Amino acid sequence: MSNTAATLTQDRQRLEMAALSAPAVIFTVAMIAFPVVYTIWLGFQTFSSTGKQSFAGLANYSKLISDYEFWHGLWITIALFVLSLALQLVFGVWLALVLFHAKRLPGIVRSLFISPFMMPPVVAGMMWLVILDPSLGAANYILQSFGLPPSDWLASPSWVIPTVALIDSWQWTPYVALIVLGGLQSLPPSVYEAAQIDGASPFKTFQRITLPLLLPTIVTAAILRSVDLLRFFDIIYITTQGGPGNASNTLNIYGFRVGFEFFNIGYASALMLTLTAIVFGAVLAFNRLRGAVAW
Amino acid sequence: MTDAATTDRWIRWLNTMQLVLAGVLIMAPTVWMVLSSFKPSFEVTAYPPTLIFTPTLDNYVELTKTTPFLSYALNSIIVTVGSTALGLLFGIPAAFAVSWTRISWPAILTLAARMAPGTLFLLPWYVMFRQVGMIGSYTALILSHAVITLPIVIWVLMPSFDGIPRSVFEAAQVDGCSVTRILWRIALPLVASGVAVSAILAFVFSWNYFLFALVLSNGDTKTLIAAAFNFIGEGSTQWGALMAAATLIALPPLVLAALVQRWLVSGLTLGAVKG
Repeated sequence: MSNTAATLTQDRQRLEMAALSAPAVIFTVAMIAFPVVYTIWLGFQTFSSTGKQSFAGLANYSKLISDYEFWHGLWITIALFVLSLALQLVFGVWLALVLFHAKRLPGIVRSLFISPFMMPPVVAGMMWLVILDPSLGAANYILQSFGLPPSDWLASPSWVIPTVALIDSWQWTPYVALIVLGGLQSLPPSVYEAAQIDGASPFKTFQRITLPLLLPTIVTAAILRSVDLLRFFDIIYITTQGGPGNASNTLNIYGFRVGFEFFNIGYASALMLTLTAIVFGAVLAFNRLRGAVAW
Repeated sequence: MTDAATTDRWIRWLNTMQLVLAGVLIMAPTVWMVLSSFKPSFEVTAYPPTLIFTPTLDNYVELTKTTPFLSYALNSIIVTVGSTALGLLFGIPAAFAVSWTRISWPAILTLAARMAPGTLFLLPWYVMFRQVGMIGSYTALILSHAVITLPIVIWVLMPSFDGIPRSVFEAAQVDGCSVTRILWRIALPLVASGVAVSAILAFVFSWNYFLFALVLSNGDTKTLIAAAFNFIGEGSTQWGALMAAATLIALPPLVLAALVQRWLVSGLTLGAVKG
């Protein structure tokens, strides 16, 4: 008797819990799951210049394989990803160590350090557009006053990707640093003390003890940054729209332009599904790496 | 002894120097943006650039006169507040249910939006919203931005709900409280600060989001971020007004972030790191 009552309450509870999750689940299915399925279907369609739509089978995907712009975009995406991630991890770990040894950080200092990545990327783009102006920008003035040659920065086809990587690294290195700082603060102090007693130099301690222990945290930071870097959009679209020429035409920029400037929705869908597969593949790969360096 | 003390002082000095260097590299561009926004128009493009000048509000006046800055700002506020409210409305109960039942797939489902490129959703949304004539409506913008706010609310709140001892709920259950009542009357007041942090983070990321409004807004509903191109066009000769626009757009998220900086990292990594 009491058993049935308990089951009844449990059933009721399960129902109530489902009801609590329902709005979020229904919203996500309606706004994400269903549209993604629709995108998969759109990927098999072609749109004529008049907007007429017809089934095209795998035509969009075979087009993708022979599309120079796709491979170029993939190359740009990977180059930007590797360059930015390397910069942000190296300087992020450095900044974390500096912040860690500063011990007490007043709240105002922390606020200053988080200000780049709390700022809209679009604003970062506007700001650096002015600073990096080839003829009147402050950056070239500083370079020249140190006797260094000026650069065309975003206006140069060969410099635009390193420049965008620099802007993004300015914005997100402090974020990586704060994640790594969290990792540093959770390390047991006993390992340092043991190393100090053994007379290990600070550099050796870092190389042999701190870095290996920090690796899982660093990989976590790498995953979080990779997801954003592989679908890079805002800063490039606001500063160069993929230019000069196609020098900064990442896959996400290319897909956006195919879809909303040339209105080839079918081909854009195929491009975006491919990019999504790349992002998920990278996350899975990094997750395995995290498993390998866990302790 | 003195040797060790000297080395110690050197190390501390070296560290302070690095801290200052990092601070300058991080702050200088933003400081330059703000300074430029207060420069008289002839001095913004002066070469070599000037540091000493008589500050003026001309650029801000110019900005409001030559562009509909205030109506863009109002659009940004409507979309951001609307999507944050929607994120809280759907996210709070979901976070509570996931934390209680340990059934995490609803939370993971919402994360999809954090991983896939926004264009992936924007293509079908564009086709769908166009069919029902909703392109350019606040509803379309608020719904699309709620895709950003919902996972933030859920993932920031889950650890907060996890932190409440289960005995609190069990006692309430014995007293015959329904789950919904436990959430609103008992759990929610206990995680009030978590709700505040999640609301602020959701607001910041919705405010900062560029891509969706670029396509789904029209001239009347354009948000500040999506209108950035208008300011750049305007600013091709008028850097002062451009920098004034950039400063004003960055101000709300920076002020809000400063308020919650202590809780930011755990919130931003969506639970991947305990900050």
